Order: sequence, then C-alpha cells, then structure tokens
Amino acid sequence: MAERGAVAHAEHEKMHHSHFGRYVNVLVALLVLTAATYLAARAHLPGGWAVAVALAIACTKGALVALFFMHLWDQEGANRLVFLTSLVFVALLIGFTVMDNATRFPLANPPGSAGALPASGFAPPAEGGERLMR
Amino acid sequence: MSETIQSPLAHHFESLEKQAHAARLGMWLFLATEVLLFAALFAGYSVYRYLYTETFVAASRDLHTWVGLVNTIVLITSSFTVAWGLDHAARGRGDRTRLLFGVSILFALVFLAFKYYEYSEHFHEGQLPGRFFTYEGLGPGPGGPIFYSLYYLITGLHGIHVVIGMTVLAVVGWKAGRGRYTAEYHVPVELAGLYWHLVDLIWIFVFPLIYLA
Repeated sequence: MAERGAVAHAEHEKMHHSHFGRYVNVLVALLVLTAATYLAARAHLPGGWAVAVALAIACTKGALVALFFMHLWDQEGANRLVFLTSLVFVALLIGFTVMDNATRFPLANPPGSAGALPASGFAPPAEGGERLMR
Repeated sequence: MSETIQSPLAHHFESLEKQAHAARLGMWLFLATEVLLFAALFAGYSVYRYLYTETFVAASRDLHTWVGLVNTIVLITSSFTVAWGLDHAARGRGDRTRLLFGVSILFALVFLAFKYYEYSEHFHEGQLPGRFFTYEGLGPGPGGPIFYSLYYLITGLHGIHVVIGMTVLAVVGWKAGRGRYTAEYHVPVELAGLYWHLVDLIWIFVFPLIYLA
C-alpha cells in the first residue's frame, strides 16, 4: 500500500498545522473591508470613483475568499489555471461590453430620418415620413 | 482489494491522491462555469447601468442597504464556519464538521429570511420586473423595470445557489457526522466547502453593485 503511505504523508503536513488562525485573520479582514465599502458608499464619492472604489474592495474581498477560504493559495497549478482562465473571460466579456457602450455615438444621419437624433427646432415628419435609411 | 471494503478509492483510480486531484480539478472546472454564468448577468447589469445610470443609482438608494450589509456579514461568517468545519474534517473530527456545517446552514437560513423580507416589500410596492413594474418612485422610462429585472435575475439565481449549497452542506455534514470521512480522505467535505465559498464570493460582488450603486 505504497499509495496510502504517500497520501498519509501528504495529509500529515495538513494535520500538523491547523488553518484556524488563518481563517480568523481572513474573516476579520473581510468584515473590515465590508465596513469600508459601506462607509465609502455613504461618503458619495464623485463621478466614477464610487464604482471604482466599491469594485476594488469587492475584488480584494473576492481574492481573500478564493485564496484562503477556497485554498487556491496552496492548490496545484491546474486548479489555479482553471479559475484564472474563467476570470480572464469575465474580464473580456464585461470589459468589451462596457467599452462598446462607452464608445457609441448617435448616428450622424440627417434629422427626421431613421436612426437620427431629433434636431433642435426641427419637427420630424409624422407617420408616413420619408425614410432615407433602409 | 477485498481487504479494503471501506476504502473510498474508486476502482478506476490508481491512488487516493489521484482521485482527490481529479475531484478537485473537476470541481474547479464546474466553479469556473458558475463564474461565467453570473458574469453574463453582471455584463447585462453593466450595460443597463451605463445606459440608465441615474435611475439605477436611485433604485439602488431605494433598497434597504442595511439588509444587504447584514446579509453580507452573515454570508462571510458562514463561509468562515464552513472553512473551520473543513479544518476539523482534516483532523478526522467529523462530528465537529457536522456541527459547524449545521451552524453555516443556520446562517444561510438567516440570509434567506432577510431576502424573503426584502422580496415581500418589493412585491408590496410594485417593484416587479419588466411589464409588471408599477412602482412610481423612479419616474418614467424603462430604467426602473430593467433594474428590477436584473435585480431579480441576479439575486434570484444567487438565492437558488444558496438553497443548493445548504442542501450540499446538509448531506455532506450529515455523512461527516456519521464518520464517513477520515483525516486521510475528506475530499467531499472540501468540495462542498468550495461550493459554499463560491456562493459567498458571488454575493461579495452583488452587494456593492446592487445595494451601493
């Protein structure tokens, strides 16, 4: 039963140091960061700062949970790679979607046509108006 | 192999170590798909928050921030008790694992009770998704109904995950209490914990996006 010996040896390491102290530290850090994000929201930071601060704190908390509660810190490379890959795709999906929305501009079509902005002082034709765009 | 009747080693694995490795990798792959499932909803939230920023911020201020805050603390603490339960499983104390998983399930019930309180308030106020939206407090425009559609999709899907996580913790915790796992092999306890931590991880992002916008 050589394999059982190997497992017992691997587990031996775990048995001797409990992770309890580490868990307590992470719990305290998570509670402090929760209070921080709540207070930051109460402060009503200007512009995009509120979202940026809230997301930065959320990412820090998420990293603490993934690394220490979920033991990614002492996992094999394959498991880390799987999780990091999913995060890359999250960044791609959300990043490019937001960039798309942020760089859109109203179509520069003549007033009154389909897809145009209503121009000031211009009354768009009612039903049956010309459609310049197909 | 007849002498190891109680061995958790499945016949298609060479060793317990390889079996544990495969189980962990499979769980992480599953968790990756879960992350992507929620990422799609967060992407939808990002788009509509960008397009209807003012309504989204107003709708977020309308929510009971304290409920979100208390639920965040409850879930974080439940994650801690689950991690602590794994610590006991790693030292062969299945009875304590059962106790700590039980405590985690109680925390989850507190979470769901607050969520129920919130949902019933929304239903009362007409803060419902899409065309069922009758609340007057957010002004005209599609921003309000869209916010509540995303709100129910995200918190509802998360709530379903809480219920599944409670079931998993209950089954694995019960088995741990019956002495089914040992210090040498307790991978099911570890994987149940991973699922619960993911539920916590997702809420960590839901809280600032929905409640603190």
